[in-house]
Amino acid sequence: MAQAFPKKPASPPNAVTVAYTEKTPTVQSYLPEIFKGLGVSMSHFFRNTRDMLTGERPDPVTERLDDGITTIQYPEQKRPYPQRFRGVHRLTTRDDGSPRCVACLCCSTACPAQCIFIEAGEYPEGDKRRGYERFPVRFVIDELRCIFCGYCVEACPCDAIRMDTGIHPVPYDSRDQFIYAKSDLMGLAARDGSHETANPRHEPGDPTHPGIDREHGH
Amino acid sequence: MPTFKLDGKSIPFEPGESIIRAAEKAGVEIPHYCYHPGLSAPANCRMCLVEILPAANQRAMMLDIVEWDEKLGDYRTIKKPKLQPACQFPATDGQEVLAEQSPHVIAARAGVQEFLLLNHPVDCPICDQAGECKLQDYWLEHQQTPKRMHDEPVHKPKAVSFGDTIVYDAERCVMCTRCIRFMEEVAKDPVLDMRERGNLKEVIVAPGRKLEGHYTFMTEHVCPVGALTTKDFRFKARVWFLKSAKTVCQGCATGCNATFDYDPRTNKALRYRPRDNERVNKFWMCDEGMLSYRDVVEGRVPEAQVSGKTVKIERALEEIKKRFASVQKGSIAFVLSAKHSLEDNLALFELAELCGSRAIYTSGAPAGYSDDILIHADKNSNTAGIQNLAPDAKSFDALLADARAGKVTHVIALGGAAPTDDVSALEGLQGLCVVAAHVGPLTRAASVVLPASAWIEASGTFVNAKGMRQLAEKGTEPLGSAEPGWKLVAKVAVHLGVEPSWTTLKDVRAMLVATSVPPPEPSQTASAE
Repeated sequence: MAQAFPKKPASPPNAVTVAYTEKTPTVQSYLPEIFKGLGVSMSHFFRNTRDMLTGERPDPVTERLDDGITTIQYPEQKRPYPQRFRGVHRLTTRDDGSPRCVACLCCSTACPAQCIFIEAGEYPEGDKRRGYERFPVRFVIDELRCIFCGYCVEACPCDAIRMDTGIHPVPYDSRDQFIYAKSDLMGLAARDGSHETANPRHEPGDPTHPGIDREHGH
Repeated sequence: MPTFKLDGKSIPFEPGESIIRAAEKAGVEIPHYCYHPGLSAPANCRMCLVEILPAANQRAMMLDIVEWDEKLGDYRTIKKPKLQPACQFPATDGQEVLAEQSPHVIAARAGVQEFLLLNHPVDCPICDQAGECKLQDYWLEHQQTPKRMHDEPVHKPKAVSFGDTIVYDAERCVMCTRCIRFMEEVAKDPVLDMRERGNLKEVIVAPGRKLEGHYTFMTEHVCPVGALTTKDFRFKARVWFLKSAKTVCQGCATGCNATFDYDPRTNKALRYRPRDNERVNKFWMCDEGMLSYRDVVEGRVPEAQVSGKTVKIERALEEIKKRFASVQKGSIAFVLSAKHSLEDNLALFELAELCGSRAIYTSGAPAGYSDDILIHADKNSNTAGIQNLAPDAKSFDALLADARAGKVTHVIALGGAAPTDDVSALEGLQGLCVVAAHVGPLTRAASVVLPASAWIEASGTFVNAKGMRQLAEKGTEPLGSAEPGWKLVAKVAVHLGVEPSWTTLKDVRAMLVATSVPPPEPSQTASAE
């Protein structure tokens, strides 16, 4: 039988009683409390203004725990990144400036975001590397899709792709600007400004190449 | 059937079979590089060593070896059973063989694997075999230790051209001699051999010769590593992106079983690999067949044509309706093609029945080179199929003669290929409609051409010269606006004013059962790889 005023159900066993402010006359009359609240805001305002004028900044690592300004005036001010920060990719180069990449597609295979596109091509007729290896005609990374996991660097057997630029992706105002082509990726340098890597490469036909090739038999 | 025990599992064998072959047939893989079921067993890679327990009344042959003892801090002499190569050791009844269960075998496999990789350049990123390389697979399965030798490996010639088709890389070669034995035993042309000794060994071509002939691609196919690569497939793709379809080679009437590899992302055909079938092609394919994957795009009819102009299929069908409107349906001639699948031919044959026409002719490509290994003189994949389908069909020459005599005025033909290039007799016909996948004399003479899909773009069956009916799977998507031939024939039927009795592939296959075509053969696989 439906009741007009059903009984309130019993409160659940895990209910927590919440204490709330007692309604004293000062609270009931509003104004004193409003001025108190404004006081807190104003004290922050004046302290922050003073810090800004004197150029004092809280320690960026512990700033979340400090009372000071927590707003960063990006891009003039930047939060320091930890040492392990990778940054956008770069394609390393050989001594002659060509990419080390041999278009083996290991990076695009390993990429969980599938943001790497490589079009492989054969070296032109007469090039000493023709018949030995391929090179990337196009090497495109969609930095919007990239999740910066570093798998491509792990997968690369030639040390051809690295994430040691320390640059985080620049904000752009259109999507196509995030799609980095081969020239963009080869233009980026490591933190120390180098485009090569410390790992040596011995090209077929180079004097440093230890082996023999199609021209030099036993 | 006699049996022997491998790791406690009972395995049956034919008398005279080696242990590795019997195990392979029973589905147990013993790792191997140099053994190939289609070639002789040289036992030079030592990967398939197994421990064979002595008979009850005999002692095992033991070898004295030294082993490092951690506790002693010195070497001590121990005894180890002499292992035997499973590829050469014939199985005997009641024999007990240990492979996975023997610590000596496991150690030997790891040791052999490490030895083979000692001077390996590990240039997997630039090697075409990466992803299907036995060195990679067995390293993961049987070794899994990093390289211990930190000296510069021995360097040998790289990217040596063996001929017009094959490139050799001596550094990657594991000297299994499969290619040498293939050329000697199967291709009957001992043009390859090896020179030097030990880690300087390399495969060479006979002086003054090139690696040539009709079976050069097979040397690359039997190569378990990336030492031999074909110039055709070199640097084209990474194999882990490819998808495979089981198909039948269309090069000749042998009907070799093949695996068709294509890139599903770009719908691009990349290569053929032979699929082993003991009764058709064993493990091999010829060069022409291996390269015939290119026919998916080469010489195709991608769009419908009316008098040489590209049009939409609907427009071409309207043209057929117009041209065939004045003719008695019973006097239309139908030409079956030995280059097309049974399904396409059956659809056309059925259309002839529905039209009440008795004028059925056959066409196909002209005969060509043949040998006694694989290559058949008949260059059509389905000659036996249409012979079974329409035993009293007349030859192509009869069609030309009838066309000249004016007995035939309207023709609906399948396939562009014709035994002769001179089909001028057909050019004056009032109506010549050709449903073809590839261009040929017939498509050039035709007034209306409809684009049929090629063998790999639609599932189909083919009957080879031995009368074996084999199924070819669908692989790539059709080129241009091509459609399966039987579907186009149904559309033609509708425009001729005939109600086709089939609408799906299932219907066509159901009709196939009622014909005199032999039932499909179960594939006799020999599992080479």
